[in-house]
Amino acid sequence: MLKIYYGDMEDVIHNTAVYFKFNYMPKWFEDPDVIQMVKDVDKSVVLGNGAIDSPVLGVIAPVTLSGGLKTLILIDKVPEKVFNASNCGDNCAKWLLRIGEKKDVTVNLRHLMDFGPEPFEALVMNTGEQVHNMDQVLSVAGRYV
Amino acid sequence: MRGTVFLTVQSTHLKYEMAFSRNITILKGDSATGKTTLVDLIREYNLNGTDTGISLHCSCPCYVIAGNTWKEQLQGIRKGLVFIDEGNRFVTSEEFAKAIRGTEHYYVIVTRESLVNLPYSVTEIYGIHSSGKYAYQEPVYHHMVRIYRDYTVPEADRIDRMLVEDSNAGYDFFSGLSDTKQIPCISAQGASNIFGFLENVGSKESVTVIADGAAFGSQMEKVYQILLRRPQIQLYLPESFEWLILSAGVLRDTEVASILENPSDYIESCENFSWERYFTRLLTEKTAGTYMRYSKVKLNPVFLQGRICAQIAAALPEKLGKILASGLEGEYGEPCQD
Repeated sequence: MLKIYYGDMEDVIHNTAVYFKFNYMPKWFEDPDVIQMVKDVDKSVVLGNGAIDSPVLGVIAPVTLSGGLKTLILIDKVPEKVFNASNCGDNCAKWLLRIGEKKDVTVNLRHLMDFGPEPFEALVMNTGEQVHNMDQVLSVAGRYV
Repeated sequence: MRGTVFLTVQSTHLKYEMAFSRNITILKGDSATGKTTLVDLIREYNLNGTDTGISLHCSCPCYVIAGNTWKEQLQGIRKGLVFIDEGNRFVTSEEFAKAIRGTEHYYVIVTRESLVNLPYSVTEIYGIHSSGKYAYQEPVYHHMVRIYRDYTVPEADRIDRMLVEDSNAGYDFFSGLSDTKQIPCISAQGASNIFGFLENVGSKESVTVIADGAAFGSQMEKVYQILLRRPQIQLYLPESFEWLILSAGVLRDTEVASILENPSDYIESCENFSWERYFTRLLTEKTAGTYMRYSKVKLNPVFLQGRICAQIAAALPEKLGKILASGLEGEYGEPCQD
């Protein structure tokens, strides 16, 4: 289940790029889900051995991936920590939902991420309410961000 | 600082061309559009200069501030363009708002958060668009695109209720106009209350919201999400009520006309945290000692009378003006042709 805390929250890793830089594991990039995330969000291809082929930057290391993608990967791979998911753009939203379908993760959102028109399932921790569409997100989360 | 700052940053594979006209610009949007890369290019150029192979052309120095020592970094720089990448939690703090108020810099802040302590304009919230690919001979070209460009002109044919951000002169004006049309007009008593009000609007009720665009940036995403779902809610965001009066031409002042043509050239950022303050002062100064003497606290009744009122109504977006001022020729008259 994807659990979202909107607004200010204690013990959140805010600067996810810095956390990623010093904590990422090369083996994360062997996971088919991560390979798909890299392809979908950054339009890049995992070449193996920590190399990624970016359409804009050429061959890059994982630390050069976009901030949103690095945050997504951290949310997936380090579920015991809470990360600032406002470093993710709306093009990461479907992946956040997919990660939440696989496992329990808690994220901190400090803006209104658009989860799209399809129904979904998430828990807003501020009120304990379950939300299933953006209308519900808006009415609950709008008070906190 | 005043005026438009043009920036070009280029490496072998990337090129950014951007222009900044106000003290606060927000960059947001999808991930992987090149926002952080832009900040990295500037940081690297500042650290290593031409050794980087990056070329940077700007009419003022560019800086990047980050991390826990942001305050010290800010104190150590001269007038320039200051970039702050996402992930810097200080940008939401009151301390940061206090620290940048009155400084000479223009700030470019990468964030999706609503910065409620900062008065930034809805027109200065941008995403980055790019064209080209790494494999091409030309660098991938990046430029800024205004995010909320289509949602500031009301197109409704009917208004059931009006909500005005202002509680002073602006509210007096719009409630005065709407009274004649028997349209209820409510003051939101501040921009931050607008979202809560709109949540409770009936599904068939046609509501027009009028707020000061010059400082509405922090509220825009929430209100925009409501607009996407409720097309009967309309939004009109002039820079400010004072800007509306000035742009209506009621003062017949050539200097005002020149200022409005390119406000950035006249508005000193260290004296005006937001443009609405400048326009309030300009209108107050220009009307001092005249029958149009303007006070923000309470509207001078002259702005609701005859030619002056008609001219202001004519400066509203066409449909809004028609609804609020049509058929009032007797009292409001047709706008004068100067």
